[in-house]
Amino acid sequence: MTEDRPKRPFYVRFWGTRGSMPVAASAKDVREKIVDALLVGQGRTFASRQDAERFAIERLGFAGTATYGGATCCVEIDCSDEAFFICDMGSGLHQLGIDASSRCAAGRRKRYNFFLSHLHNDHLMGLPAFLPGRDIDSEIVIHSCHPEAEDLLCRQLAEADHARPQESWEAAIRFVTLVPRQQAMINGILVDTVKQEHPGGSYGYRFTTTAGRTVVYSTDSEHNIDDMHAGEDRFVSFFEGADLVICDTMYSLAKSTTTKEHQGHSSNVVAIDLCHQAAAKRLALFHHDPLHDDDDIQQLHEDSVRYEELTREGPPLEIFCSYDGLEIRL
Amino acid sequence: MDVSFVPARETLIVRPVGRVDESSWEEFGSILAKGVEQAAAEDREKLIIDLSGIDYMSSRGLRVLTTIKARGIAAGISIRLAAPNDIMREILAISRYDRLFDVDDALPGAGRS
Repeated sequence: MTEDRPKRPFYVRFWGTRGSMPVAASAKDVREKIVDALLVGQGRTFASRQDAERFAIERLGFAGTATYGGATCCVEIDCSDEAFFICDMGSGLHQLGIDASSRCAAGRRKRYNFFLSHLHNDHLMGLPAFLPGRDIDSEIVIHSCHPEAEDLLCRQLAEADHARPQESWEAAIRFVTLVPRQQAMINGILVDTVKQEHPGGSYGYRFTTTAGRTVVYSTDSEHNIDDMHAGEDRFVSFFEGADLVICDTMYSLAKSTTTKEHQGHSSNVVAIDLCHQAAAKRLALFHHDPLHDDDDIQQLHEDSVRYEELTREGPPLEIFCSYDGLEIRL
Repeated sequence: MDVSFVPARETLIVRPVGRVDESSWEEFGSILAKGVEQAAAEDREKLIIDLSGIDYMSSRGLRVLTTIKARGIAAGISIRLAAPNDIMREILAISRYDRLFDVDDALPGAGRS
């Protein structure tokens, strides 16, 4: 699908990148980073704030100067002026809601299309705190392949309203049950789904614009040893040629095939192999283990970049390590 | 995929040659399964997978190693990896498979039977 008119900028924003439960850096964690930075910069002067920032990043890396964050899964695919497209509603949805409200105050349409991978709490917990939900003019459409999503989320909102009646939900919500592998055109974006292996079932989404740009969101998806043939070929096809694939890379391959087998998650190595076979252009490592600190996640990123280099046969696959606040322009 | 099976006292050494990728992982699995069966039939204690002939192994190949390890346990055969090249050594480290398997830099007592 191509067209002659100028392409609208296409952004993917990560509002929550952690899996299973939200986590936060402790006071001790932050203080240690500051002390490390002071020691590394000892005796130096800097011409500007930017100069200092450049030096710090060069010497200490991402883990030493920032944090991957701890909000649970929430990714915004900013591909249409007609509506917001949001994958999952983990605790990261709270921050997205604040940001979206200010964009709507500047004139953006107040329509929100959600796409749920599955119904585990880490992917739903942000909904009661979604600020646009208190705006009677917001239109909220929740898409999922789980028919029980409506009942579950309505109960969640009712409980939240009962606890905080002064902050009750005002927006209209509509639930749409999608049929796996049946494409749907939603506010100008072609949406496809694929069933994934995860306790209770989960679904991946493929979003394609009229200009042919594609983002795949595939989290909470285990690639079982017993299903390496047909199962993984399905995902190669689903990821085919994508501009960006967002993948569950929670565990090392060794852990995912042993102590964490059948828990419904995957590894960086499998994600890279699938993206290579699919000729995808970019991969975002996602759904970070809540037990991993920033150094662990940085190591995951470095290992992934190296593995991609070692195993590459075609064009390079660009690998991002997602963090809360990351914005990728496609 | 070329392969050789070399008995060495209580050990059977299997040496596949080539790349283990999306087109060859099933054959690789069959070769290793045959190695476990042969080791069990010959009453050997160990199966050593000689990686010196393996250029590269994808995640499917690595996961085959996991299934073979389970087969080995069921058959009372311990599985070790040996002689990875530099690329394989890195792949084993990145995947953390060097924590699942004992990996020897060279074949232990190779050639002595």
